[in-house]
Amino acid sequence: MLEWLARGLHKGIVTTGYPRRPEPAPAGFRGRVAVIEAGAADPSLEDVCPTGAITVRDGDVALDRGRCILCGLCVAADPARFTLVSDFETAAGSRWALVVGEPPVATLDAVRRTLGDRSRTLRRSIHIRHVDAGSDGADEWEISALTNPYYDMQRLGLYFTPAPRHADVLLVTGGVTESMRAPLARTYEVMPSPKAVVAAGTDACSGGFALPAGEVAGGVDQVLPVHVYVPGSPPSPIALLHGLLLAAGIVTNEIANERQAQP
Amino acid sequence: MKPEPLRRLEDPSELLAQPRLAAVVEDAPGDERRLKLPLARLDAAAELLVERHGRLVGMFCVDRPEPSLLVSIAFRGELIALRAPLEGEVEYPSLARFSRAALLPERELHDRFGLVPVGHPELTPILHPDPDRITRDVIGAGTFVMPYGPVRSGIFESIQYEIETGGEDVLALHVRPFFKHRALEQRFRDLPYEHGTLLAERVAGIATVAHALAFAQAVERATGVEATRRAQRWRVVHAELERIANHLDVAMKLADDAALAVGVARFGILKEEIMRLRARLCGSRFGRGVVVPGGVSAPLLAPNDVLRALDEFERDLRRDRRLLLATTSFTDRLIGSGRLDFAAIESYAGVGPVARGSGVATDARFERPYGAYVRLGGDPVTSEEGDAQGRLLVRFGEIRQSLHLIRQAFERLDKYGPELRADLPPVDATGFGWAEAPMGEVVYWVALGGGRVRSTRIASPSLRNWPLFAASFRGDVLTDFSFIEHSFGLTPAGADR
Amino acid sequence: MTWILGAGFVALAAAVLLPLLSPRLGALAAAAGCVLLAVVGFGSAAGWTHATVQLGTWLGFGDSALVCDRLAGIFFALVGGTGAAVSLALFERPPTRLVASLHALILLAVATVIGVDQAFVFLLAWETITLSLYLIASADRDRPGNLVAAYFGAGLSKLGGACLLAAFGLLYAHTHTFEFSGWMHVSDLGATRSVVFVLLLLGFGSKIGVLPLQGALPPLYVASPGASAATVTIAFNAGFYGLWRLVFGTLGPGPMWWGELLIVLGGLGALVGILYAVTQDETKRFLGFSSVEHGGIILLGFGVALVGQSTHKPDLAAVGLLAATLQLIAHGIAKPLAFLGANRIEDGTGEETMRPLGGLAARMPRTAIGFGIAMVTLAALPPFAGFVSEWFTFEALLQGFRLDSTLAQLIMALGAALLALTAGIGLLAFARLYGGIFLGRARTVLDACEPSGPGLGFVGLSLVLLLLGPAAPWEIRWLGRGLEGLLGFNLSASTIKWPLTLGPVYPNFSVLAPTWLALGIPTFLLAAAALVKLLLRPHVRRAPVWLSGTAMDISAVQYTPEAYANPIRVVLAGAYGFRRSLEPVPPDPTAPDEPGKRALVTRVVPAFEHYLYRPVEHGALWLSGQARRFQSGRLSTYLLYVLIVLLAVLALIPALRS
Repeated sequence: MLEWLARGLHKGIVTTGYPRRPEPAPAGFRGRVAVIEAGAADPSLEDVCPTGAITVRDGDVALDRGRCILCGLCVAADPARFTLVSDFETAAGSRWALVVGEPPVATLDAVRRTLGDRSRTLRRSIHIRHVDAGSDGADEWEISALTNPYYDMQRLGLYFTPAPRHADVLLVTGGVTESMRAPLARTYEVMPSPKAVVAAGTDACSGGFALPAGEVAGGVDQVLPVHVYVPGSPPSPIALLHGLLLAAGIVTNEIANERQAQP
Repeated sequence: MKPEPLRRLEDPSELLAQPRLAAVVEDAPGDERRLKLPLARLDAAAELLVERHGRLVGMFCVDRPEPSLLVSIAFRGELIALRAPLEGEVEYPSLARFSRAALLPERELHDRFGLVPVGHPELTPILHPDPDRITRDVIGAGTFVMPYGPVRSGIFESIQYEIETGGEDVLALHVRPFFKHRALEQRFRDLPYEHGTLLAERVAGIATVAHALAFAQAVERATGVEATRRAQRWRVVHAELERIANHLDVAMKLADDAALAVGVARFGILKEEIMRLRARLCGSRFGRGVVVPGGVSAPLLAPNDVLRALDEFERDLRRDRRLLLATTSFTDRLIGSGRLDFAAIESYAGVGPVARGSGVATDARFERPYGAYVRLGGDPVTSEEGDAQGRLLVRFGEIRQSLHLIRQAFERLDKYGPELRADLPPVDATGFGWAEAPMGEVVYWVALGGGRVRSTRIASPSLRNWPLFAASFRGDVLTDFSFIEHSFGLTPAGADR
Repeated sequence: MTWILGAGFVALAAAVLLPLLSPRLGALAAAAGCVLLAVVGFGSAAGWTHATVQLGTWLGFGDSALVCDRLAGIFFALVGGTGAAVSLALFERPPTRLVASLHALILLAVATVIGVDQAFVFLLAWETITLSLYLIASADRDRPGNLVAAYFGAGLSKLGGACLLAAFGLLYAHTHTFEFSGWMHVSDLGATRSVVFVLLLLGFGSKIGVLPLQGALPPLYVASPGASAATVTIAFNAGFYGLWRLVFGTLGPGPMWWGELLIVLGGLGALVGILYAVTQDETKRFLGFSSVEHGGIILLGFGVALVGQSTHKPDLAAVGLLAATLQLIAHGIAKPLAFLGANRIEDGTGEETMRPLGGLAARMPRTAIGFGIAMVTLAALPPFAGFVSEWFTFEALLQGFRLDSTLAQLIMALGAALLALTAGIGLLAFARLYGGIFLGRARTVLDACEPSGPGLGFVGLSLVLLLLGPAAPWEIRWLGRGLEGLLGFNLSASTIKWPLTLGPVYPNFSVLAPTWLALGIPTFLLAAAALVKLLLRPHVRRAPVWLSGTAMDISAVQYTPEAYANPIRVVLAGAYGFRRSLEPVPPDPTAPDEPGKRALVTRVVPAFEHYLYRPVEHGALWLSGQARRFQSGRLSTYLLYVLIVLLAVLALIPALRS
């Protein structure tokens, strides 16, 4: 056991300071696609995207990040219009908020500070139950990476739990295949309120690449009410942390609201 | 017993020229052999090949060049495809009569295409499993069925197990895959080659590069165009990095099962370092967007940066590996768990570290080399133990081998031209592509037409190894379950497609 | 009080004959007799009265009387109280006339054993118990295994009776009297004292189930029909009375190895009992092995008492005897209650085994509560009576450091370790029994109902047992007076400290306060529930049981009782001789397409039956076969035997004379 201890001390502290300190993504990391120039677009741009995330309406381009799998084909086809941003914080609180629209940089800093405050003052520890409703397997790796020493989500009061009865947040990956509909719904039913649902990954946000084949429901929001969407194929661990902390805010706010509403 | 590699097929022409088989040879690229047979003779031909130690890879129902049943059997150095035109028939003699590896594929063919294998011992629906159905195989006082899944305890993919137990011992195990069936094979229809590669990446997310490789190589072989030499070497680098990440994940999960928190943390750090290296190398932690038909996308790091990072990684890994294998509270749980012998692997046509851990020296990189592996060469890493520890030792050996392969791949990189990508013409052809994923060999069959993918079929290593998992419980108890499951390292997403 | 004592015996005697008219009358009479005996016993133990009923001279064996002194008072109270409850249960659901009569006969014989002060009547009553146990076990001849159980039990008891006869004979030879009072403080016994001790141990042990004589008990319980199994359990108190009175009280201080032997036998017996109990499927057989276990625990305390007596440490003897008596009383009330409960389950469901049951708590709530109280007592959970007595037993064994002999210290430590192991496995076993029958969902038996009738005996015993733990200080005060005759001083002064805390006779060693626990635990629970209800005001929503996201039928996927005990069998496979294999089952000819099933075959080697009883049985049969050679049937041979014996006697007399 002493040798393990020596190894650990030798390595030092590798844990990220997120959300108190920003965590920069490596250069070239595919975090999200940003629209530089939205107007004067050719309708043929829609065919560039394999999942149909790009829509052109009256010459205006809209990119649905909930369908984007970060393949970069649109950037290669039209670098003046699209660019890949190395960014981790990509979650949003509603489906339509994933359609770009550039969030202004100032807002991001404010959001990051609020998240830092919230994680410091989290009086409740949030327990998270994960359900795989038909993902490709990579999302689960990123979620379980949250417990490794680099991200260590337990320092923020987030825990994974196998029992839905002890869970506050339901973290769903995958676009809900036919056979997983009923088990997913049962998991949600058995969780006590207040609860929040986080859809992690492009498959969970919109059904992803597999959608038109007919086996996949088209996103978790076709089965359950979703409170936070974390797009990405797969979403990186910091993006997941960002989304979970948003969800934690929902949960703690709901408890405060319940207490206020009581006679 | 010495490790047994996959055998070469001797005198194939004599074998397959037997008049009763009525086989017709068709054109095929280099290490493939294609034969057309009548449907009624399909099982006899397959049985002949399996008797000569061929490994049943997959059974597909294809529609190019005509609706047929395609059975592919692998040998050392060549892949034999037996194609039998259906001509409106739905019944065919079942291959499960002589090969247990055909049990699951035939059930899937029955559910998806309505083909009836005559003589199949247990033709029950497999595609849309009913989570509430209880299977009882064992009669006895006090035995009961413990369901585990589809929603499991932990961050795991969804699959259902029914464990028949007498309380502590596992008497029988039933595996129910296909809860995550996304019907991806159908999604490939009419996709351009590039989009098809993107989709192939997402069939099994933790084996992204391997699946993309198998698909891209199938397209390349069908079009007759090879990827550039430089691209082939980069492909090796990415595939081996993916293999290292998978094997570290298995070590991490095993340490977690043994409640060895320090092991989990150290191997979590190692795996995270590899994932971050991959992110710096290509912008995606899983190598997405790396493999493109005809080559690779441009790397973002120079080879020397990669090698420097890997040297430091190897130093850390060596020390952590030594500590982990010296922790008896950990290795005690692995020794003797989930023992599989040579005969079981052969009868179920097992692949990957599962097979290599029981002495079957089969590895697609070395028995049917593709890409740069033709020039790199090597031997499969095997172990005689056959239990969970054997499989873990095989994985550690493969990590060392992968690091060696990466260094070799970078060695003569400057000799090659700078092109990273070759253009693939539109053709009307079909082709096989294979790659050694971290769980075993994955084989793709594609049919191309007019510059697009018309049809794809996938033989996933996880689906082939799940029956082995059910058969590996002999005298093990419930607490050994997660050790054995994680030592297999399979992915339900790849099996269910 | 003498009249009450006499009336009690008369009522019991009447109860033996009244079933000829009506079994209910017999049961009522038995209840009345038991109540009277209990009253007398309670008063005598407390020292308020001393009743004597003269029985006159018996065939020249000397005067005899039924005496209720302090020690007998304790046992009269126990036997009377539980006997009354069982009789009331029999009154509500009357058995056959034979069984009702035998029930009363057993109680009468046990009461006689406790009350009489002379060896001859003692033996007479003892053999009557043996005979009635045989008759009651063979009452239902149609059930397979009953006759074998009856023979086996009777045989073992007969063996015990023979040992008792030999012991009494030896004592008579030294004292020339059959009266127990004449045997006290007999001094010049020498080595015969230990011989007598072993014989008495074998004799009384055959009733208690001392290792290795325990094999007869569980089948006897299973064979006894209906609620009479509870009567059989009461009968075994007679064995303990014999040990208390004759070994501790009469045979007096002996060498140390007596106590050490009992500690070892008790500890091992307790362990063996619970190891066999945990794998049983039949409820009554389980309770039978649990009786073996508790008998072992009682002997642990008693062994410490003997050690204390032989080293002239009265405090040690007191704590050991107190522990044993407390355990005796707790078990003596809980086991009949458990058997009454098992009988109610059998009446309500028609099943004797655990496997088809499950989920009975909702359909048979009263039985569930009463049985549950018996279970928590037997499993020694605080703050109930079983925990108090086991705590005292532990404390008694932990006093080993006060002894000088290293061997004795080691043996006391070994006893404590065996007790701890037994207690742990016991928790598992009782949880399995209760959970397998009452909790969870119903497995096979879907309809069950509470037996009709008020169940006075059942409810009465439950209430007494529930309050026995918290009332421990008062119980110990009463026992202090009751055991004063044996110990020479009243232990309650140093055991009970104000306010209502108990210590193991030695001052400043350890404390236990069951009364405060019994007040405190429910108070805290209620306070917590009230806090949650009032401050947090939770909104309760019911959701289905979580089964990995499936909606499977829970009764098919829940743990079975065998499965619950399986880990113990796997871990201790060596001790059980446990082997399991899967054999293929021939396919069903009516469903040829179904895949072949496999059957689980379990093999267990019951060690005592295999290695001890069966060889002894074979040996005995062989011997008797050899003896038949002497029975040629010819008159001339028998006359020859007579001649030989006559010559031998003639030769012996001059030798003895000189």
